[in-house]
Amino acid sequence: MGFSINAGLLDAMVLSIVQNNDTYGYEITQYLRKAVDISESTLYPVLRRLQKNELLETYDKEFMGRNRRYYRITSQGNDSLEEYREEWRSHKKKIDSILLNEGAENNEQA
Amino acid sequence: MNKLEFLTRLRNSLEKGGLPKEDINDALTYYEEVFLDAGFGKEEETAASMGSPEDVAVNILRESGIHVDPAPVMPPQNTGAQSFNNNAAAQPVKKTSGGTWALRILIGVLTFPIWLPVLIVICSLLFTIIVVVCSLVFAAAVAAIALIIGGLATIFESPFLALMFIGAGLVVTGIVLLICKPAFSSLIPACGRAVKRFWNWIMSLFKKGEKENV
Repeated sequence: MGFSINAGLLDAMVLSIVQNNDTYGYEITQYLRKAVDISESTLYPVLRRLQKNELLETYDKEFMGRNRRYYRITSQGNDSLEEYREEWRSHKKKIDSILLNEGAENNEQA
Repeated sequence: MNKLEFLTRLRNSLEKGGLPKEDINDALTYYEEVFLDAGFGKEEETAASMGSPEDVAVNILRESGIHVDPAPVMPPQNTGAQSFNNNAAAQPVKKTSGGTWALRILIGVLTFPIWLPVLIVICSLLFTIIVVVCSLVFAAAVAAIALIIGGLATIFESPFLALMFIGAGLVVTGIVLLICKPAFSSLIPACGRAVKRFWNWIMSLFKKGEKENV
């Protein structure tokens, strides 16, 4: 069993990966697989959406006699990644307070 | 399922779904790259990991809901991303249409190694057919004239042989005339029309792109 990942979280993770390094589709999937069970076909609509919203842009770079499409984060993408990170921190804190009994002062049980 | 089969089925499904050509090409480029990056020996494995091409197509089409509706609206996904979606939604309507036109030209230019040879092959085939037909007819006409002249030249030496030559020459002349009449009155204009129609079709490809974006 695992926790399901929603589209927003996936968008955020992809943005974060691309922010570290310009990279290509296959590699992004490989990174994501460290955390979530995802296939290349799940990733494509995500990349497409981020591109349409102008959070990512692409350029082609030659690799072994063919073009490989690389993704680069835009400044708008950087902004929205910051928002995502902020949102994630507060979300995580709330979940942890319940799931891990953290922040006991709010916890009636103790 | 190998790479080719996967990509072909994906293309078919996307075309059936009415996705714009440029988006289909984008998707196919992506999936082809996935196969290439995964490695040559892993085509089957890669295809299996992505599920059926038809399902993949359904996902892409759903994500591009924007194209089914004539008025472009951002797909209402990623609830978590709404904060930026709202301000992003207003712009792309205009921006993408300008961008797609540029992209379309770019794709046209970049894919010229594919369509240029095809174009050349079709044109040279048409040209060859015309030339071959014309030269066959020409050869027959020359043979007919040669037979008749040869026959006339030998008419006093060996009259029977000459008669045979002249007769054969007349037969070939008749055949040439029979062929020439319909050929020159209909076949060559038909070739011309075919070339013209082919040209119009190519031009319409460009015009269509223009119209969609105006």
